[in-house]
Amino acid sequence: MGVVKKRSPAGVFIRYLLIMVVVTWALFILYWGVVTSLKPPAQTFTISGISIPFVQFIPTLDNWRTELYTRESKAALLNSIVVALAATVIAMALGIPAGYALSRFQFRKMKNKDLTVWFLSQRVLPPVAVVIPFFLIMRFFHLLDNVFALILINATFTLPFAVVISRQTFQELPIELEEAATVDGCSDFEAFWKIALPLLTPTLVAVAAICVAFTWNEFLFALSLTSIKARTFPVYLAGAEDTRGVQFWFIATRTILAMGPPTVLALFIQKYIVRGLTFGAVKG
Amino acid sequence: MSALRSRKIKYFFILPSIIWVLAFTIFPLFYSLGLSFFKVRLGKPTHFVGLANFERIINDYKLVNSLKVTLLYVAITVTVQIVLGILLALLFHQETKGKSILRALMILPIFCTPVAVGYLGLTIFYEEGGPLNSFLMSLFGAKIPWLSHPTWAWVAVLLLDIWQWTPFCFLVILAGLQSLSEEIYDAAYIDSSSEWEIFRKIALPMIQPVVIIVLLLRLIESFKIFDVIFSLTGGGPGTATEVFSLYTYRTGLRFFDFGYASALSYLLLAIVMIIINLFFKRIRAVYE
Repeated sequence: MGVVKKRSPAGVFIRYLLIMVVVTWALFILYWGVVTSLKPPAQTFTISGISIPFVQFIPTLDNWRTELYTRESKAALLNSIVVALAATVIAMALGIPAGYALSRFQFRKMKNKDLTVWFLSQRVLPPVAVVIPFFLIMRFFHLLDNVFALILINATFTLPFAVVISRQTFQELPIELEEAATVDGCSDFEAFWKIALPLLTPTLVAVAAICVAFTWNEFLFALSLTSIKARTFPVYLAGAEDTRGVQFWFIATRTILAMGPPTVLALFIQKYIVRGLTFGAVKG
Repeated sequence: MSALRSRKIKYFFILPSIIWVLAFTIFPLFYSLGLSFFKVRLGKPTHFVGLANFERIINDYKLVNSLKVTLLYVAITVTVQIVLGILLALLFHQETKGKSILRALMILPIFCTPVAVGYLGLTIFYEEGGPLNSFLMSLFGAKIPWLSHPTWAWVAVLLLDIWQWTPFCFLVILAGLQSLSEEIYDAAYIDSSSEWEIFRKIALPMIQPVVIIVLLLRLIESFKIFDVIFSLTGGGPGTATEVFSLYTYRTGLRFFDFGYASALSYLLLAIVMIIINLFFKRIRAVYE
């Protein structure tokens, strides 16, 4: 890279030191969660300093075992998985064709970019502004404490990712391939389904992963619309604060269980994260 | 845009999405607008009260508090995140060994479940023997009442949010810096200006569009803040950290005053819309 100029070794050292500080800072909270989940409950706050496992205490998997064998946790995990996957499938099924249409066809009544911004504005909407009508509507349809309600709502709120990002990526795909296919007798739908879509598979997988992660992390709707049967993992986590006070060891275990799936997914789609989270506005 | 076709099939592609959005966001918004004109008891609209719910807004000191908390929170976190994001991007935007691993690690906080971050915050800010206080004890012999003191609880919330979202600002701004061609930097070095000057006169103006996008996205998301505060402080102590979303949530879904809560959500919507409108031209230009 052209940026490198002659630097004193001390300067380089300081820079690496700073980078290490930053990375430690970024990871400390996660580290603390993992470490706390491995401590025996009695020792949660008695081990001083940064609590290095094996050095300062003997790690145990007891908390994990208890947690993973609890029926409620398993049910909540399952709900989270079902909601995240189903909502993502709906968002992708609706959003990708829309994104394709916005990049390939001309809309006259409302211009393409205005439609795009309109879809985007769904993300601007603060969820708390619609949580009450949703609550009443779902109560009317007897869908309170039902995963179906959460699936519908999360599909709505992740739809903008699918529409806008797929539009931006289709935009960069040369149209000639599809035109050639149409000349060869493909219908417009086949040109989309057989030509354009397969070429964008990696990006679309990344978009799906972002939708899954956002749905997984969603809390306000899940808290408001479910109680026991359909509660997702974050809501279950929030219930850990029970009458016996906060049980930090279980909380730590559950937070790590909650954060695991979205963070691991994120690592798989690193390349697409900047583009995905900025709705294609910044190319990563 | 390349040759655009105009065929009927485009409606087949786009209408399902449009109908879905209309059904799931526009309809509830109108529903809630309607509700805001009603007195609601035990979750059932009883009678039409006209603008009474909106009049109540004016005299609601708890609301004024929550607005103050929210605006201050948004202003501080977004500013700190962006400034830190720029600084970190500059730090990493140089030949660095293991850069891709470091960058991957910085992605992690962004995707952490916010409500879980709040609960981890409880253990980290724990006053009797939590890691932060035991560190402060050994260093200064004093501890901080992180969660029992109004101001410190506020600081704790800010710290967690800054922890989670600075990496996002950093990643996007770094991507912006790296998209600038190297020739620009090389040319700048030949002119041998100082590094600060290169940053101020060349890099900063060129990454400005990216910074504005980050700013906008963070503004939008920050106004939604709910999860971390719900789990870390529950709005307390007292109402020191009761942000707008939390106040509205409580009014509506804890006290079941749907009419007033609907009026409150419209107020939030209006505030967010005003702020977004300031940026509207820029957003539109991105999707040209």
